[in-house]
Amino acid sequence: MAAMETTNGSREKSDWTDLNAPCVSTEVEKMDLDKADENVNWLKAHFDPVAGVYSFSSCIALADLNGDGDHKLVIADLGTGKYNMMIKVLKGTSVVQENTLLDLPTGVVSVYMDMTEPRTPGLVVASGSGLFVYKNMRPYYKYNVEALTVLPEEQQLWDQSKVGNVDVATLADALNSLKNEYSSSMLTSQTSHFLKLSSQEEAKQFVEDYKNVPLKRETVITCITTMKKSMAEDDAISCIVLGLENKEIHIVDCEAYTVLHKFTVHGVPVIINVSGLFDVDFRMFVACRNGCVYTLKKDSDNARVCLDLNSQVVGMERIHKCLVVAMMDRTFTSFTTKGRQLWSLEMPADILCTTIMDHKAKGFKAVMVGLSNNEVHIYRDKNLVDTVKLNDRPQALCFGRYGREDSTLVAVLASGALQVLILKRTAEYADHSLHRGPPSSQYMKLNIPKKTQLFVDQTVRERENGIEMFQNFQNDLQMMRVNVAEMYLKGLQSSMTPLSDDPNVPLKLSATVQGIGPMFQLILTIENTALPSPSDAKLLTDLKVVFKYLDKVYTVSPGVLSLPALVPDIPYKFSIQVECIASDQPAQDTITAFIVKPDNTKPVVTANISMPASEGVVVV
Amino acid sequence: MGFMDRLFGWLKAKKKEANILCVGLDNSGKTTIINKLKAPDATQQDVVPTVGFNVEKFVTSSLVFTVIDMSGQGRYRNLWAHYYKETHGIIFVIDSADKIRMLVAKDELDQLLDNQNVKAKRIPILFYANKMDLRDSLSAVQCSQILGLDNLKEKPWNISASNAMTGEGLNEGIQWLSDQLQSVR
Ligand SMILES: Nc1nc2c(ncn2[C@@H]2O[C@H](COP(=O)(O)OP(=O)(O)OP(=O)(O)O)[C@@H](O)[C@H]2O)c(=O)[nH]1
Ligand SMILES: [Mg+2]
Repeated sequence: MAAMETTNGSREKSDWTDLNAPCVSTEVEKMDLDKADENVNWLKAHFDPVAGVYSFSSCIALADLNGDGDHKLVIADLGTGKYNMMIKVLKGTSVVQENTLLDLPTGVVSVYMDMTEPRTPGLVVASGSGLFVYKNMRPYYKYNVEALTVLPEEQQLWDQSKVGNVDVATLADALNSLKNEYSSSMLTSQTSHFLKLSSQEEAKQFVEDYKNVPLKRETVITCITTMKKSMAEDDAISCIVLGLENKEIHIVDCEAYTVLHKFTVHGVPVIINVSGLFDVDFRMFVACRNGCVYTLKKDSDNARVCLDLNSQVVGMERIHKCLVVAMMDRTFTSFTTKGRQLWSLEMPADILCTTIMDHKAKGFKAVMVGLSNNEVHIYRDKNLVDTVKLNDRPQALCFGRYGREDSTLVAVLASGALQVLILKRTAEYADHSLHRGPPSSQYMKLNIPKKTQLFVDQTVRERENGIEMFQNFQNDLQMMRVNVAEMYLKGLQSSMTPLSDDPNVPLKLSATVQGIGPMFQLILTIENTALPSPSDAKLLTDLKVVFKYLDKVYTVSPGVLSLPALVPDIPYKFSIQVECIASDQPAQDTITAFIVKPDNTKPVVTANISMPASEGVVVV
Repeated sequence: MGFMDRLFGWLKAKKKEANILCVGLDNSGKTTIINKLKAPDATQQDVVPTVGFNVEKFVTSSLVFTVIDMSGQGRYRNLWAHYYKETHGIIFVIDSADKIRMLVAKDELDQLLDNQNVKAKRIPILFYANKMDLRDSLSAVQCSQILGLDNLKEKPWNISASNAMTGEGLNEGIQWLSDQLQSVR
């Protein structure tokens, strides 16, 4: 009874002081803060800023490890990248178990390996060239990918060195030439290590140390996934699919730990996506480091190129019949399983990780894309249905059942923090897009009037005489173009334009009129548009401007304007007085300005200046 | 048959009846609590997750309780709203060891309080911060803090830490609920 607390609405202040778990109270504050932001569909269930995890999407999993319906979170932590690699199991908000790993993890999966009750899945961690299998979080089995054959020459060299027939220097030379002959990937790690040693002493020691170690060439697991064996249920027995550094794909049986099938692809696999059942029929999509995605099928041994992408794959998920690929160039593209592109979207920031959001209760399947702007975008087909804001850049995402909550999103952040969000029960994702796609006004019905008889007749006529009408139209269009061109040519030839076409006198003329009348000021701007060169300044000299106007309407002074030498590229401005002398009514006419050369009868350029209507003379 | 039955019937008839709705997330211990209240001395047998709901009756010194024990599973939670209208009081059970789902519980509570039928009446709400025996369970105060109960002004409420396995803390809560129900009428 002593441990019990009973409080009610009129509780005293003193109750607040004896909070014995300060860590929880800070959590409470945080939760309150989070209420303010706009993740309307998500509850920020947990945020641990100092979780200190460094992991990737392939290295986290949600699984019912103890078979009690309380799903745990498994994180294969890469530690510092060199030390402190471990497997962490979290229940709720706390770590319940940690197992140290010897090598960097490349992936974790949970698989049902047997039919014993209660059904508990095993946890398989891929690390180096081995699979570490845990059951009930106790080490259970270690599987090693079968070793590759060692080059006979290499074997021979090492054998000889062991018995002392070859000294260290010749061994190094011989191995080096082997390395040049084949590629370094064909040699054992022992050889590569040996060749990296700098001093004779070290090399001698090395040969001594490895005297009794058999020469082995191992490959490394690059990715891991699972495939159901003969039944599709959630807890059906599965087998493990491994991608290896030597460009092979192995399917491993989890009961006997034997290789069931091997495939070879033309690149180093990085992501494998499997659908189907091993015993019935299956299909695999393998994204490789060479930017290609290959298709593998149960009954064919050769890999077919499905996609040849222009960027590296960040995530690849399969939704229904399509393959969605997120790439490093920010694109997020959907393909058919045959490799035809359906659509492609550009993300607003770099894509860091993806995961599939499979909400079985709602029959809802979407792809979550973690972006470098701290957001997770949820795409259903190409529609953005929701955006989740995280506290930092997501490094790994996992959606599934955590604890007893079916729709939980676990995010490992770049800062090492761990964030857990729960989808609200009431969250509804509308079928059409919230942010993209056609606006809703497009779906509104317009009030279109009925078709008239005239419209129908016209349509019939257009349908029957379509070719003829088109030809007529084309004919008219051509005629019009010819007319325009002719007019233009004529204008050029008679220098009726304010731009000169004579390469010897390149000139531009423009005019503006100021004033309201009867006195106007006409400002002519004349520019020599020649490109000057150091040898030839291309000055224009001896030019005159004359005006043509109706002398009943205007007087222009000066009537003739002698231009100074025009230096290229400088606009010259000249002011001319124009007076409207037509006394009776407000008059309006055009004044034409010509620039002429004394020895040429044809004007160089012409500008038509249409004068504004003049105000009458103000009689005082 | 006979005297005793009639006596009980008479006693029952004299006592007031109260309809109580018992809600809370799945696995929070609603069924276990009600079983314990019904038969305090019986040892707990295994409870299975409730499907839909169960109706249970039990008698305290002052009242006859008819409790509707709802299922807390996500797919049944929308059933809760159907019973708000008839209920005189609500028991809201929280698994105080399930920290990760505290906000889910809060979300469900907020929806409950937002319901028209709940808003209309001044019904008392009893919270059980259940599973207080578990190692890293939150105290009743911490639970009420996360659920934001201090902002709940328009309803009489009370929170008790409880252990449904031993019955600890259950009676205090029920006593408070009985008092509330009787003072209302
Ligand atoms: N340690 C502990 N376990 C409890 C307590 N109360 C209930 N449990 C256990 O929690 C589990 C779930 O209890 P239930 O009563 O079925 O939960 P429920 O709220 O009725 O769940 P649903 O019917 O699915 O909504 C059972 O295994 C109980 O034994 C408690 O106070 N302490
Ligand atoms: Mg129940």
